Amino acid sequence: MDLELLLGIGRFLLATTLLLLLTVPTAFVIIQMEMKIIAQLALRFGPNRIGYKGMFQSTIHGFKVLAKEDAVPDQADRGTFTLAPWMVYMAAAMSMLVIPFAPGAIAADFSIGIVYFFAVLGLSVVGLLVAGWASYNKYSLLGGLRSAAQMVSYEIPLTLSIVGAVVLAGTLSFSELIAWQRDHGWLLLWQPVGVVIFYIASLAEINRSPFDLVEADSELVAGPFTEYSGMRFGFFFFAEYVALFIMSSILISLFFGGWLAPWPFPAELGGFVGTVYGAFWFFLKTYIFVSIAVWLRGTLPRIRVDQLMGMAWKVLLPLALVNLFATAIAVVAFNL
Amino acid sequence: MTTVDPDIRIPDPIELDAAEEARLRAAAGMMPSPAGPEYSGFEMVGIPDRPPQTEREREMYTLNEGEMLINLGPQHPSTHGVLRLVAKVRGEVIVDMDLVLGYLHRGIEKLSEYATYTAVLTYVDPMDYLSTMHNEHAPAIAFEKLYDIKAPPRAEYIRALVVELNRVFSHDLMMGFLALDMGGLTPILYSFIERDEVVELLSAISGQRMLFNFFRVGGVNWDVSDEFISRLSTWRSKVDKLIEMNEWMISENEIFTGRTKGLGVLSAERAISLGLTGPNLRASGVPFDVRKAHPYSIYHELEFDVITQQAGDSYARYMQRVAEIKQSIHLIDQIVDKMPHGPVQAQVPGIIRPKPGRRAYGAVESPRGLYSVYALSDGGPNPYRFRMRDPSFISLQAMPVMMPGLLLADTMAVISSLDPVMGGVDK
Repeated sequence: MDLELLLGIGRFLLATTLLLLLTVPTAFVIIQMEMKIIAQLALRFGPNRIGYKGMFQSTIHGFKVLAKEDAVPDQADRGTFTLAPWMVYMAAAMSMLVIPFAPGAIAADFSIGIVYFFAVLGLSVVGLLVAGWASYNKYSLLGGLRSAAQMVSYEIPLTLSIVGAVVLAGTLSFSELIAWQRDHGWLLLWQPVGVVIFYIASLAEINRSPFDLVEADSELVAGPFTEYSGMRFGFFFFAEYVALFIMSSILISLFFGGWLAPWPFPAELGGFVGTVYGAFWFFLKTYIFVSIAVWLRGTLPRIRVDQLMGMAWKVLLPLALVNLFATAIAVVAFNL
Repeated sequence: MTTVDPDIRIPDPIELDAAEEARLRAAAGMMPSPAGPEYSGFEMVGIPDRPPQTEREREMYTLNEGEMLINLGPQHPSTHGVLRLVAKVRGEVIVDMDLVLGYLHRGIEKLSEYATYTAVLTYVDPMDYLSTMHNEHAPAIAFEKLYDIKAPPRAEYIRALVVELNRVFSHDLMMGFLALDMGGLTPILYSFIERDEVVELLSAISGQRMLFNFFRVGGVNWDVSDEFISRLSTWRSKVDKLIEMNEWMISENEIFTGRTKGLGVLSAERAISLGLTGPNLRASGVPFDVRKAHPYSIYHELEFDVITQQAGDSYARYMQRVAEIKQSIHLIDQIVDKMPHGPVQAQVPGIIRPKPGRRAYGAVESPRGLYSVYALSDGGPNPYRFRMRDPSFISLQAMPVMMPGLLLADTMAVISSLDPVMGGVDK
């Protein structure tokens, strides 16, 4: 067999393993951030017992979930009930493949990375719908229906909002997009409307507050996750926070220069140092947006389901279309 | 030995055959036994496992194509205790709603009939557990009428002071819970911080933090000290800022107003016909306040207005509470200024025995509305009959009227805006 091919497979397996391993600490860190930041907003201390200033609280939560019983309701559809968390988690984990962490640190540099990303991330709605349907629970059912409606609606403005950026840069590959931003400045400056639409739609897409209707705890108990316990619930929970990380990282890769520093990236930095330097900026920017999402959760009440739909179809979608056409016309007119 | 008439036997409800059941139902004046195929069967979750007792129940629990019953409660994150709401939904739109009460019934009224008059004041504490002072105020007024004594002026002032403090934190919690039920996590914690400030004050004079047990027949348990008054003024200096901080997070929030304005609208006529009182009624534009309409305690000496809102929706009910907090603080200022010196407890025997046949009615304006007590004496040391009107129970009855046509998510926004406390509803 071709050595090159074997190396490629080995590299891919290594990358996917690393990414899967990365999801766990990512979720722990974001959960910890959420507990601490919301506690600060509410003038509380937050967790402060386990580890230094309670920094291992979320880790303990994660291991606690492992120790819990995996109960399946009597009337639930056992097969799909078991499959659903896996689907949601894998959708999140698989979409990490195309995230450019640093120069050279991208698991699979597809030429259609953006298309792949939205295709795979959209799969999680299937998992949620299946979870809602298989649980044999009315809260779960309503939550599943809401997730289907919400995610399908927001997929459209979400995808349209980045088409402007794609038209400008002329590429669907994340690494080329970042290379374009190195030469032309962050896409934030070119696509300010697109950024806003993308951020709002991405919060809705991953069911973050104020769009967390799917597991609206004051109405639907926990939405599709109501009947889940133990590590099955843990997978949903992890997937949610991993999705937040992914959305933030995609946002910064698309519009905030990815692993680029706010000032010109030193060209002489290559190899390992360049990777570390890029990763530093990548994670810094990503976690800034993660913090903003957490801040929003601590501040805003939940939007209602009809208002949510109205916003997607009446505000975001026309705005995204206008943005796209304006960009396209500008690209043709000014020969960008 | 008593002889048992062989014709009378106690029917076992499980073994009743259809004819027997029909006969008993006819004798009891109930509707004939159910249930053609249109009645959706007892095996379904959420439907009572017995035939419908009334026309309303049959209507509620008969499902048409595309409708579903969904249980919110009694164990549910946001039903304010153990209220069970059975919602008939079509998709997410509520078609009908039934309230199932009684999960927290402790028989307080009956218990009170076996307790001395002084002890009754401790039994009513856990009724409406967010306005404990008001719970004690109404029976105290009733028993004083029953026994024909009057509390000394200083006691009346202290009473007015503590009930207004209680009103402040009760309304304050309502603000937070309303936001919490819409998914806002933070305001409720601000509310609890504000509540804690007040509760610390009240515990400084009563010794307890929740069930204060502060009122006595003919006075109050403890006098306020100068230290308490100085702590009160410390609280007074920062309360406006605390309330403002919480209000600032909620009142102008676009999502909050979008979810409360125009929802759960009750017209003035409707509110009156449902028997609503208190802030819920005033939010519909009816200027009825027990403190003004039937002044008790020292309210006729204090200067305040009856605040009303016009809209009658959830947002108006919220704004009404905010306005009433400010008004209560204004009242507290006056009370502290005017507070006379003197004893805080009238001369009352250890065991009170009012004259037989006397009856008395005491009503106060609790944070949830007209809270009243009716007591009847037979000359013994305990009330012969003791009944309470709890405003939460009445305001909950507006739910099935307001909800049809709204969304499931609005249930929480509307029910929170009514601010029911299940301890009082279920007694």
